[in-house]
Amino acid sequence: MRRKYFTVTAWIALLMLVFAGTVLAADTIKVGVVGPRTGPAAATGKSFEEGIKLALDYVNAQGGVLGKPLEVVFEDTAGAPDKAASGFERLVIRNNVVMVLGESHSSAALAQIEVANRLKIPFIVAEAWADPITAKNYKYVFRAGPSNSGVVNETVAKWVMHENFKKAFIVAENTDWGLGIAESTKAALDKAGVEYDFLITERQSQDHYTELARIKAFDPDVVLAYIYGSGLHFFVAQAGETRLTPKAIILDGAGPPSLWPDYWKNVGDYGDKECFVSSMHEKVELTELATYFREAYVKAFDQQPTDYKSRSIFDAVLIAADAINRAGSTDADRLVDALRATELLVTRGTVKFGTTLGGPEYHHWMPPMLIVQWQNQEQVVLYPTEGATGKLSR
Amino acid sequence: MFPLAVTNGLVMGVIYALAALGVSLVVGIMRVINFAHGELFILAGYFSYLFAITLGWHFLPAMIMAVLLVFCLGLLIESTLIRPTYGHEMYSLILTFILSIVLQNAYLLIFGPYPQKPPAWISGSTHVLGLFYYGNQRLAALLAGTLIIAAVFSVLKFTWFGKILRAASQDREMAQFNGVNTTRLNMLSFGLGCALAGTAGVILAPVFPVTPSAGVHVALTAFVIVVLGGMGSMWGCVIGGLILGLVENLGAAFVSTGYKHIFGFMILILVLLIRPAGLFGRKEI
Repeated sequence: MRRKYFTVTAWIALLMLVFAGTVLAADTIKVGVVGPRTGPAAATGKSFEEGIKLALDYVNAQGGVLGKPLEVVFEDTAGAPDKAASGFERLVIRNNVVMVLGESHSSAALAQIEVANRLKIPFIVAEAWADPITAKNYKYVFRAGPSNSGVVNETVAKWVMHENFKKAFIVAENTDWGLGIAESTKAALDKAGVEYDFLITERQSQDHYTELARIKAFDPDVVLAYIYGSGLHFFVAQAGETRLTPKAIILDGAGPPSLWPDYWKNVGDYGDKECFVSSMHEKVELTELATYFREAYVKAFDQQPTDYKSRSIFDAVLIAADAINRAGSTDADRLVDALRATELLVTRGTVKFGTTLGGPEYHHWMPPMLIVQWQNQEQVVLYPTEGATGKLSR
Repeated sequence: MFPLAVTNGLVMGVIYALAALGVSLVVGIMRVINFAHGELFILAGYFSYLFAITLGWHFLPAMIMAVLLVFCLGLLIESTLIRPTYGHEMYSLILTFILSIVLQNAYLLIFGPYPQKPPAWISGSTHVLGLFYYGNQRLAALLAGTLIIAAVFSVLKFTWFGKILRAASQDREMAQFNGVNTTRLNMLSFGLGCALAGTAGVILAPVFPVTPSAGVHVALTAFVIVVLGGMGSMWGCVIGGLILGLVENLGAAFVSTGYKHIFGFMILILVLLIRPAGLFGRKEI
């Protein structure tokens, strides 16, 4: 008899726990974030974590979403497409997220958009640049960040012409992002009549001496380096050792690695005069929210924000929260409708997704990008001219 | 282009060989494949960074202390993780594989995701024979790597410990019958293998800053060289490393930079098709 009572009590306790868990889970609205917390681009994961913290503080201080606190579940993708796809699926199936945001590897995002489309879950890509991500025109896929063609056509190619560079060398890592942005650059330079040469380098490569010898033989004015992660540090340092620089100017076509805390330690004096693409600069803050972000970042982490990807994910969380509130529901189709109607001021300007089918502009909002140069370890904005804080130094 | 590719091939080859010597030693003596070899290489780089940058030590004592610590860690790993698995090679393989993942995540947690670089011994570059500029730190790494490799071979050839190692490598049971304490020998060999990984790590970290996951590529290259040269063959390691360095660089210079690391695998497949035991088989250590 006692054993029977014990069994019944245990079952009731278990059911209560499960029920309580469900109730607790329903007390927040969950969105998923995908990004690399491990692997060669783990630094992006760190930036994402920082941006998420600030975004949650901001959104929840304003009442959260649908009257409940917003919660983020972060899934590590390690930059690998297989992990990215399974991680995305886990967020939806296991964590019941209503929307997924983030990613910074194009290869990973290209795998994830297939899952988003299959599971019918809205996905806002934050920092994966490959054109096909939105060019596939999937109903549930949005991008609130740069695209390869957007960065090249709106910023890089225009800057190359603005500086009157005659010869350019394109170096691209062998990834979806690298190869894609190299193709966009070739097309833009062809159009602009700039002479160029091109080579592919391996993503994991540490030694670039042979590549640099080939580049030096071409004698370019500018090297457009589409290399991400610590590979960029190796490239810049070795370009200095082989004396390719300072005669030629290097443009880091991604940006964040030139802003990582150990950049100067790793590249030494060879880092000076290097240019990089960025969407963030303390003297070029386009909105009041950008100033808020910087101040909140300094308060929370006791340092100035450097990697602009922390701000990209901050914006993505705000876009998601705004869409959920306007949809008045967590239904995927209603969220898609709300996202399509987005007109929201974030740190980088006003978000408005493209709705024209047929190209990468579909469901895409392209934030303004800057070309910045390191001059005596100070960041000087070179382009666009209306935001410039100085001129190119050689 | 050709002189630079050859010079860089030789430099990278010596560096590769140094990283692979530890793997070869452990495979030759213990028949254990240490999947965490790359992570121990990285750990020495981190230690060297920590002592030199954080504590402000001169780079030389920082490097020596880093190698010593990795040697001690090797002894600890052997006595706690590897020793209970003797006779079950698969267990040690799985254990070291798990250890490599644990160490990678520990580095990420402790040192963060950004690359860390100990101070360079020498800065700038040299105009080699009036043909090309080459980084002085790389030339210093070449010199240090060559000296370490020569020292390892001298120890193996001329010292009592080296003779014991070679004897155990050729016939373990016979060495045991002649009074060699193989348990202690295993521990020392593993520690020495780890110390060699660490030595390569401290020499290379000023050239290629360390990151939590950089050891994966180091270990993969080391395994390719060990198989290419012949499992357990120290000479095979050196020749294999040089071949790999030269093939990668000449391939990148004259075929394609996008497939630099594929050339090494192509050579490996070719050698294994012709000589399945690798270039130097198991004839010597």
